[in-house]
Amino acid sequence: MGTVKVGLAVEDDSGLDSRVSSRFGRAPFLAIVELEDGEIGGVRVVENPGASARSGAGIKAVQRLLEEGVRVAVAGAFGPNAMTALEELGIETVELAGVSVEEALQRIRTRLQGQ
Amino acid sequence: MMVSVSGGKGGTGKSTVAVNLAALLSRDLRLVLADLDVENPNDHILLGAELAGERPVNIMLPFVNYQKCVKCGACGRVCDTGAMLISPDGLPYVIPRLCSGCRSCYFACPVDAIVEGKRTIGYTYLSELELGESKITLVTGSLREGEEHTPPVVLAARRRALSVEADLHLVDTSAGTSNSVAAAVDGSRLLIAVTEPTPLGLHDLDLILEMAQTLGMEAWVVINRAGIGPEDDHVRLVRERGAEIVARIPYSRRVVESYIRGVPIVLHSPNSPEAEEFRRLAEMVRGVVS
Repeated sequence: MGTVKVGLAVEDDSGLDSRVSSRFGRAPFLAIVELEDGEIGGVRVVENPGASARSGAGIKAVQRLLEEGVRVAVAGAFGPNAMTALEELGIETVELAGVSVEEALQRIRTRLQGQ
Repeated sequence: MMVSVSGGKGGTGKSTVAVNLAALLSRDLRLVLADLDVENPNDHILLGAELAGERPVNIMLPFVNYQKCVKCGACGRVCDTGAMLISPDGLPYVIPRLCSGCRSCYFACPVDAIVEGKRTIGYTYLSELELGESKITLVTGSLREGEEHTPPVVLAARRRALSVEADLHLVDTSAGTSNSVAAAVDGSRLLIAVTEPTPLGLHDLDLILEMAQTLGMEAWVVINRAGIGPEDDHVRLVRERGAEIVARIPYSRRVVESYIRGVPIVLHSPNSPEAEEFRRLAEMVRGVVS
């Protein structure tokens, strides 16, 4: 399946231990994970520009993921604007929260391998 | 002269105070009532009036000329509301609902690829109505359902209200202390802050009085639903904020009845203690106007 980049909305900047956030647009950070043939290649945590946006937070978060070339987005819930944009752009969304980045990746691995 | 009725908390009786003052003060003043609570305008309901003279409120909506676009991303970088999404192929996509019509993208584009369109986000209305023996002009701003940018509609309704010559422009604002409320009350000689004897009423009264102080505006406090709870903290707060409690409207079933019938209480039950308190308040406002 090659390399897939996954973007996860997270609550803190703790690499693979960061907690996946219940919300997408307003999460403080975004974890960008490279999966190489299903194995975790590398993780970077970046600030989410949506967190401090006055409006359009979801779109700003989507924009940041696009810059990273992300193909799959993970958060507890996505707002209507973010959801519309992600669907239009063909980015897969996974609704999942309350676990670490590592656990989230374990859980969605089977789903990703279907790609 | 402009006088505003506001108060921070939603549902405290801002509109009730506004329409009763309008009914009383219009007896010897040319009065325009401006309902600038554009997300939920209801003065016309309380006055039993129909909205008339509809005019659209349009804001600029950008369109992209994709033949001119050089994929530089400048429009997306200047967009403050997230309405301009730059796709992976570098082309911008507009998300209309998020756009506030600020034109930043239009000015930022180096190749004039942003084309100016427009979008209707709300309406203003102007109704002439008779209340007992007097007449008032009611101007209403109404945001379209699903829209989120209130200031253009507030400002359009405000302009329309001010374009009607009058002795008194009485402004009824939305709840809160957002920039929409600040824009609505701007230029008022007096801000009448309506509150209620509840903890939330107290909390939001503090915010609205702080806003009045910041704007350098004289503030009067009206306690509505007086009697439903303790007012000691309200009294203390109002003193600290350099304002004054000028009226206490008793909690009463008659007020609810007048609301349901669409007749201000001063006309519905003119002999009630509530109507008497409104008359006293109106006299005080009258003293400021002349």
